[in-house]
Amino acid sequence: MVTAYLLLAPATVLLLGVLAYPVGWEAWVSLTDLSPLNDHGPRFVGLENYRHLFADAEFWRAVGITVGFATITTLAKLTLGVAFALLLARPFRGRTLVFLAIFLPWAYPASVSVIGWYWTLSPPIPTAYSPFMGALKYTVDGALGGGAWAFLSVTLFNIWRGSSFIGVFLLAGINAVPPELFECALLESRSAWRRFWLVTVPLLRPFLALAVFLSLTTAFADLANVWLLTAGRVVFPVVGTQAYWLAIKGGQFGPASALSLMLTPLLLAGLALLFRLFDPPAEARA
Amino acid sequence: MNPRPWWRRAGHASLLLVATVYCVFPIYFMLVQSLKTAQEDVFGNPFIVTNPTLENFEELFERKGQPRNFVGRALRRDYPFFVWLENTLVIFGGSVIVTLLAGVAAAYALGRLRPPGFRWWRRAIFATYVVPHTILFVPLYQVVIRLDLDDNPLVLLLVYPTLALPFCIWILSAYFQNLPREIEESALVEGASRAVAFWRIVLPMSRPVLIAAGIFTLGTIASDFMIASVFLLSEHNQTIPAGLATMEVALDELLAVAGINLMAIPVVLLCAVFARGYVRGLTAAMIEGA
Repeated sequence: MVTAYLLLAPATVLLLGVLAYPVGWEAWVSLTDLSPLNDHGPRFVGLENYRHLFADAEFWRAVGITVGFATITTLAKLTLGVAFALLLARPFRGRTLVFLAIFLPWAYPASVSVIGWYWTLSPPIPTAYSPFMGALKYTVDGALGGGAWAFLSVTLFNIWRGSSFIGVFLLAGINAVPPELFECALLESRSAWRRFWLVTVPLLRPFLALAVFLSLTTAFADLANVWLLTAGRVVFPVVGTQAYWLAIKGGQFGPASALSLMLTPLLLAGLALLFRLFDPPAEARA
Repeated sequence: MNPRPWWRRAGHASLLLVATVYCVFPIYFMLVQSLKTAQEDVFGNPFIVTNPTLENFEELFERKGQPRNFVGRALRRDYPFFVWLENTLVIFGGSVIVTLLAGVAAAYALGRLRPPGFRWWRRAIFATYVVPHTILFVPLYQVVIRLDLDDNPLVLLLVYPTLALPFCIWILSAYFQNLPREIEESALVEGASRAVAFWRIVLPMSRPVLIAAGIFTLGTIASDFMIASVFLLSEHNQTIPAGLATMEVALDELLAVAGINLMAIPVVLLCAVFARGYVRGLTAAMIEGA
């Protein structure tokens, strides 16, 4: 048993070392009025920050946009990902090439592709395509409000990259299902649509859940990247970017911490659901 | 075997074509751009390059201290791209190694040795994904300064593994957990120690899962841009993503695109080489894990 704990030590120390203090700090600060703008130290204010947030219309707008962003990107990523996985599931000529093409958006490092993507869709200087992109940008911004195009372009990027990850991930999931199950299904029903919903989806459900969870927890990194890249010019706030805004621009660490912790209960609930699918207690006895 | 009507085959083929174009086009677009002269970037057709040139790439590697031209009245900055490349290689390589070492050790303990409460331990590790990363770097910076690691690439070697470790531990331990016990036991009966049995038998068997974990780690850390640009301040310590973010895009757009491609090509090649292994490893972990 000592060996087991020794082997667990490096990973645990790394995770705790990097995360424990920051999370504790955030939780504590969310209960205080810590701000570099105050001339006194942090004062304990209880749940005041949370109460303020709940009364703030901007907060609810950010929550709405966050939920909308997460729902739309996740649905799109899942639809495309499932389609990719099903396309690749059966052998055909040139499968390797198509597989590599579908793998590419995820393999292409997002840290740099998001820069390229962003500047391509909002060109900073005159290029051959900037009149077209500019026109598109002003049409969208005019219809939906300033900054809509920038937000939309990040959404598209997120879907583009996420669908690639989910597609490859689900392909691995399909490979893990014994093929006999699909063959049986073929005998049971001639309707591909029915087979998909009655057999493929239930069989893949744990993998779908894991893919969705991973895509949710990483979905906001792209927005954060662009937020930094444009010095906060993304005017469509999501909970994460609004927290940045409060902390870095406004110096209000208390409300910012409260804000950034706000989605955690939701994610934890999702996680509990995921564990039921992916790590069922029955397995322990097997 | 089952002859399908031509229209179904055509439908399949066109779906494949659409999927391929959708996935590849943005990358193609960036590649084409990086091969253009400024002239062609402004006046040429945006989708093709007629006079491909490597001048943008060459310019990135030009030695420092040479005068660079003006655009209007703005002097174009020098970029120590070679240093960035070196830093990126060291940090990425180091992070993947750290992740795999810590991950394999923890996964072996959780999947094979199973200390009491191992399931909750594994769940707790995975649950770290829930931690909101939004303003985490503020308190993290306090730790970094306390440890005197400010502006030190070493920080990333500690932070990057935490982004990928939970997932890696999850798939590796799922795999180890369901490897038949007899495989190791036969070696133990022959008198080998547990460590030798692991090194000689378990590790070689888990190659695909190790590849999957490694590629996932690489893809994850290669997508980070925020942590790198927050913690690496001075130019000579930056990685490519952090450095590119400091570029004056308005002046050096083509240069930036070339930099993007130079960063991407090695990562993409590595991923492409191991792509099959990645899927095979994920599959192996899923068969055991689900």
